Amino acid sequence: MSNSEPHKSSNVTHGPITSPGKLPEEIESVVEDEQSHEGHGGMMQYMAVFVALCFLTTMSFLTYSSYWPWRDEPQVGWAFMMAVSCTKALLVVLFFMHVLWEANWKYVLTIPAAMMAIFLAIMLIPDIGLRNRMVSQERALHMARGSDVLLLEKAASAASSGEVEKHEHE
Amino acid sequence: MNAPAASIGHESHGHHGPVLQYQPGLPLSRGKLIMWLFLSTEIMFFAALLGSYVVLRFGAAVWPKPHHVHLSEPIGAFNTFVLICSSVTVVLALEAARANKRSLAKSWMLLTLILGSLFLGVKAYEYSSKFDHGIYPWAPRGRIYERPDLYYGSAVRARLSDPAILAKIKELDGRPENELSDAELTGRRRLKQVKDMVNNPDQQAFDLAVVADQIMPLPGEGSDSHDHGGGLNDTFAWLQLPAVIPGGNMWASTYFFLTGFHAVHVIVGLIVFSILLLYELGPAAAGMIENAGLYWHFVDLVWIFLFPLLYLF
Repeated sequence: MSNSEPHKSSNVTHGPITSPGKLPEEIESVVEDEQSHEGHGGMMQYMAVFVALCFLTTMSFLTYSSYWPWRDEPQVGWAFMMAVSCTKALLVVLFFMHVLWEANWKYVLTIPAAMMAIFLAIMLIPDIGLRNRMVSQERALHMARGSDVLLLEKAASAASSGEVEKHEHE
Repeated sequence: MNAPAASIGHESHGHHGPVLQYQPGLPLSRGKLIMWLFLSTEIMFFAALLGSYVVLRFGAAVWPKPHHVHLSEPIGAFNTFVLICSSVTVVLALEAARANKRSLAKSWMLLTLILGSLFLGVKAYEYSSKFDHGIYPWAPRGRIYERPDLYYGSAVRARLSDPAILAKIKELDGRPENELSDAELTGRRRLKQVKDMVNNPDQQAFDLAVVADQIMPLPGEGSDSHDHGGGLNDTFAWLQLPAVIPGGNMWASTYFFLTGFHAVHVIVGLIVFSILLLYELGPAAAGMIENAGLYWHFVDLVWIFLFPLLYLF
């Protein structure tokens, strides 16, 4: 339906349209929707969401603190943090962006975009994620490896123990 | 399909001919529709950035730990808190504008602007602390080497034979001991050791690791990078020797790319808010505030994922 059509036909039809379409009702419901914005939300609800967001931020920060019991298994922390982040994102989208109260168009816009997003990331895996499975000799020569970190840590511990000795001498 | 336009077309097909009257295709204003369409492209934009970060990170042989690259988790958490607060204030500005409390709406909006600027300020501070450690996203300024190898050794040697640096070292060596602080005394001794090791023709792989550790140690888990005594680069800021952070270059590229694009979005949001502050924020402006708010919440949303991915992973 192009935009110019309604103008042409408005000359033909006279009076308000009530029976053929459900138009008047539809418009009313839109207006109601606009008004009902004041019904949802409200200070208390926003504050509750805010407190929840702060709490969740503290939770993801917990993985950094010494109270986190799974220090040796970073995967546990990663899964936990992603779960926390998704919950936070959901809270922001549903309440602050008012998506909870929107009509069904929200799915049309968000679901394809989200699918594209996931697909995009998956498409990167073969070429980029697995790029170090086979590397040229030259690249292998220059790229950092786990052994480099170990070497540096060994050097650090050697240096710090050396430092202690020297301090005792002084 | 429950779009009203479609249902009208169907029912009016019969006797009367088409009854056409303008109505929105979706039950929302045009501005909001456009903002949501824009946001759905933004979802894909940031998903591509975050997705490539995750894929690069887990595909890398070595990825630096947050404290290796001088990231401060508390600062990141603070910034998260600031952005969440600004999301709340923009929502409250919208509610106040709808209730026709104009001055209240304006003050919430102003608070949002201040919080956004605070976020940017903290970000700028973080960037500068990266730059201080020679972590730049590109080569001429970046001083990060991937491994303590011969190339690294020759880069250190080249820097140490720079005439300006030589003059500074000479000046440092000439100063009497009682003029120097403890840190500077140790630093001077370490610098001599580093020079000998780098110039030693019988140098071993381990020596270069020691050199790298003396110049900029990789802080251990849990220990504060600043009370570690720091390396030579910390003791003598003018030295600016090349440093080793395994995986640091890729890390710097992704970090600056992700946070940089996010910061650009924050700046755009702040410009929008400053323009909005010029208006009367009554019910008539509620639509504008809502759209600006949608954008701002999206910026917050991106940071919600960026914070754990960059600071805590």
